[in-house]
Amino acid sequence: MKPFVRRSHLIVSALDEMQVNTSWTHHADAVVLDLTDSVPEVDKPRARDGVKAAIPVASRGGAEVFVHINKPLAAADIEASVWPGLNGIVFTGAETATDVEDIAATLETFERSRGIANGVLHMIVMLDSGKGVWNIREIINASPRVCSIGLDEGNLCRHLGIVPNAAFDPFVYAKGRLVIESRAAKRQPVGISHPYGLFPQFDDAEEIHRLALKGKNTGFAGVMCPHPSWVEPCNRALTPTEERLEFYRETRRLFAEGIAKGTAAIPYPGTTMMIDVPVDERARITLEMWERCAARDAEKAEALKRAQAPL
Amino acid sequence: MARRVRRSGLTMPINTPRFVDRSWTRNCDFLNFDFEDSVPQSQKEYARTLVSHAIEQGLKGGAEITLRINCSYPEADIPAAALPGLSQINFPKAETAEQIRNMDRLITEAERRQGIRPGTIRIGTAIETTLGVANSYEIASASPRIDAFSGGTGYDMSMDMGVEMFVGFDQFVYNRGEGALVAMALGLEYHGSVYMPDTTGDVGNTELTRQRAEANRKAGLRSGSGLHPNTVEPQNIGLTPTPEEVQEAKRILEYFAQLDERSEVEGELDGRTVDKYEAARAAELLEWSELCAQKDAKKAKAQAQARELEAQGNVPS
Repeated sequence: MKPFVRRSHLIVSALDEMQVNTSWTHHADAVVLDLTDSVPEVDKPRARDGVKAAIPVASRGGAEVFVHINKPLAAADIEASVWPGLNGIVFTGAETATDVEDIAATLETFERSRGIANGVLHMIVMLDSGKGVWNIREIINASPRVCSIGLDEGNLCRHLGIVPNAAFDPFVYAKGRLVIESRAAKRQPVGISHPYGLFPQFDDAEEIHRLALKGKNTGFAGVMCPHPSWVEPCNRALTPTEERLEFYRETRRLFAEGIAKGTAAIPYPGTTMMIDVPVDERARITLEMWERCAARDAEKAEALKRAQAPL
Repeated sequence: MARRVRRSGLTMPINTPRFVDRSWTRNCDFLNFDFEDSVPQSQKEYARTLVSHAIEQGLKGGAEITLRINCSYPEADIPAAALPGLSQINFPKAETAEQIRNMDRLITEAERRQGIRPGTIRIGTAIETTLGVANSYEIASASPRIDAFSGGTGYDMSMDMGVEMFVGFDQFVYNRGEGALVAMALGLEYHGSVYMPDTTGDVGNTELTRQRAEANRKAGLRSGSGLHPNTVEPQNIGLTPTPEEVQEAKRILEYFAQLDERSEVEGELDGRTVDKYEAARAAELLEWSELCAQKDAKKAKAQAQARELEAQGNVPS
């Protein structure tokens, strides 16, 4: 899978015109049009009918667009969602490889009939059961479309009989397993640190940033954002900070110099730190990540400028 | 398999003579000569010619000799490394059982060629990637030469997970748990470490090393390692039971023996419950204390001899 930058996934109800119509203004890397819990059963058909028109609106700011489909209504939801401009779907509740294969087959059918290149639509899989977390490896590897995996923490609590408590994180093991298995398969784990996965707050950007950063340091690469106020702090937390860039450039320079002299363990001046292969490698990876983020941000800024230009 | 004492150890580039030639003076339980990340690509071949000299230097201090090879070149590295005197070859960034089975085959061949008793050279595996964690059980059970296992932490792991190194909480909690479970399930020594907050990344911090070694000892962990000579003594001391602990263990065992004579299975000693688990813990501590004393005596004797030879000007070139 080609590397992608998807730090923030802003979730908006496909039914809520106001949310949809402003979704492109928040600088999200991805917008998720929700057909699941935010849409009452009776309104599902109406929400589905709006998806085709909502896709180009949600992408006006350069965001990728996903639709969060219902597992039991997958066929109808996918039929309503697969239009040019769509980047993929979000799918909660996979428990086995077969669940993923079924969705992938439906996506393929509609890619073909709607003139979309074969295999381009991604799947973000959210796990909400013990069985799903246990079978994570087969779920991830069931399809090359699976790009990101996360926990639906609220439903996972319900299914496991856990009463959520802000004081401690019930999913230390599940998150560890998610991060290891996703990264081992070269996919993106998505999530935020406890307690915001279970008790999201919307008014404290610094706390959102702190928990997104802590999430990054447990291995998450992106966040599902339940509110526009999450987008900016999440983007910021998951982008390498500018002040470290100079340090990493210097690391690379010193290491290259050492290699030329025949040594691969070089002291970093003024510290007890040694620069060796992995330290140099981290510098390379971080600088590349920063460049990818910068390119993505430029792309979004360009799209936003076009969208805001007077006709 | 005899239980090994590996409280302290230094990893050093095999191509840096000032480290290798003084390695025996460091009083390490083991030494780990490196072919891998501390040796630049251009010197990999040269590094393979330095093994017998390095083994000779290291053995002068009574240390156990191990060597870290490159995961990409086992075919070239293992025949060069597997010489008499070497006790273990370490495989970095282990990701699959097949890598370990291949390694075992190469070592078996090398032992035959070198006239080393079959099975002498053990395999150490370092889990340093997410794929390695995911495949831990298969890796740890891939060869009978493996007698210890630990969870994946450290610099390479942090990169593969996309996390920073020193963040003030344990980013590797799952990896440690997985490593400990796999080691216990397979009856291997768990060579892990408890988490201690460290936001500096200072590899030569004596005080932090001492604190960590003591915390590990109290958690029943027995092994250490390091990159900086400052880490050796704090680990030798910190991972050795104190005389008070040894005394206490003896009292517990005596008390448990008395219980046993009275046909009782548990009792209270100074407000503390003593049962077969407590007794087993005390017995392990005494065994470990004895092994540490033997190791210390062995190192002291070897180093005294080496110093004497050095004083006589009998220094190998």
